[in-house]
Amino acid sequence: MIGVRDTAGLAAALEAVLFTLNRPVTVLELQEILQSPLPDVEAAAIALGAGLAGRGLFLQRHQDQLQLVTDPAQADVVRRVLRPEYPSRLSPAAYETLAIIAYRQPLTRARIEEIRGVNCEAVLESLEEKGLIEETGRLDAPGTPRLFGTTMKFLQILGLSSLDELPPLPQSGSTST
Amino acid sequence: MSREISTELERDPVYIVRTPAFDGPIELLLTLAQRAEVDLKAIPLATLTDDYLKAIAQDRPPLERLAAFLVIGARLVQLKAAGLMPEVTVGEEEELQAWEDAIKGRLEEYKRFKQLAESLMRRHASGRFTFAGLLEPEVVPQARVQVSLEALATAFQQVLDRLPPAQQVTVEMEHVSLADKLEELRTMLSRQPQMNFTAIFRHARTRLEAVVTFLALLELIRIGQARVAQSSTFAEITVFGQEQET
Repeated sequence: MIGVRDTAGLAAALEAVLFTLNRPVTVLELQEILQSPLPDVEAAAIALGAGLAGRGLFLQRHQDQLQLVTDPAQADVVRRVLRPEYPSRLSPAAYETLAIIAYRQPLTRARIEEIRGVNCEAVLESLEEKGLIEETGRLDAPGTPRLFGTTMKFLQILGLSSLDELPPLPQSGSTST
Repeated sequence: MSREISTELERDPVYIVRTPAFDGPIELLLTLAQRAEVDLKAIPLATLTDDYLKAIAQDRPPLERLAAFLVIGARLVQLKAAGLMPEVTVGEEEELQAWEDAIKGRLEEYKRFKQLAESLMRRHASGRFTFAGLLEPEVVPQARVQVSLEALATAFQQVLDRLPPAQQVTVEMEHVSLADKLEELRTMLSRQPQMNFTAIFRHARTRLEAVVTFLALLELIRIGQARVAQSSTFAEITVFGQEQET
């Protein structure tokens, strides 16, 4: 266990590392870079995220990856200096598929198709190409089907700090209509 | 509910079924099928429907009668389908109810995701994106040293582990040529000069294909058309294509 001052120091080191690497970095890598155990890295990430509130930078966390990005509130001003190749609009089918993946990940194409009731091959391919979803592994079942999950870029186009910030899943409690 | 319909209509049958296995009002057929006293497998429902269509083409019955046939026919199809499923003994109201509930549940689940999809769309449309810094810095990160052979082997083993074991895929002889894979890798790297190691194997469906892809990668590294690097011990290995000439 380390003290409060050390957490602040580690948060500063974390900020410096994320700034220079300028890419998603896993907590496993960060343990090695910061030469600190996982709980300390996690504490530093929370401290850094809180410390950045109201600033121009923003800490994003997707699963076990951390990345330092610009604050969603600064999107307009950043767009004046950058022309990022972000997908600006997706089809309704793509948003539906993204929503299912975001809340139920990791899951197979078969499971997505079961929920949507239609073939999803093309829409999955397009989302993967756009870098919004990726293969996170294979299901241990006949044919070892691919499992899909969202990516850091998914958080970026929605300006979310993490998947926890997604709106809550509507209740299924409301029975018959 | 359909039981009510059948008793009500019994006086004036919706349709008289004439098949070797059953001869009588269709309402009675449904009642007996629900009690499992008649085997629906012996009754060709398609022929029954064809006969019915021929019959109604002549004397056009009122709409309620057509609807009654549809309701009964649908129940018969449902019962028969359930009976054909292995190890499912249907015929009981509760089981059909459970089946209906499952369908309803799925529709509700879909509706929930549709709502969420709309909220994602609004959020995306607001344009409140986050951005990483500018592209790759000119400085080569300190840790981006050569990848050790063990690291490469471990990464490849991880790729192999995700593919079906060899005995499962020997259904037909495959032909995966090294020349083809070399060409495929070159094209991939010319389009995307920096790729994740695992992405190289994205299209590999079998171990054989993965192995040939890996050989092709080693060959490209050997002739200097590709190089691999890793930013730290646990980081994903990155494959870099050759700098574009011409």
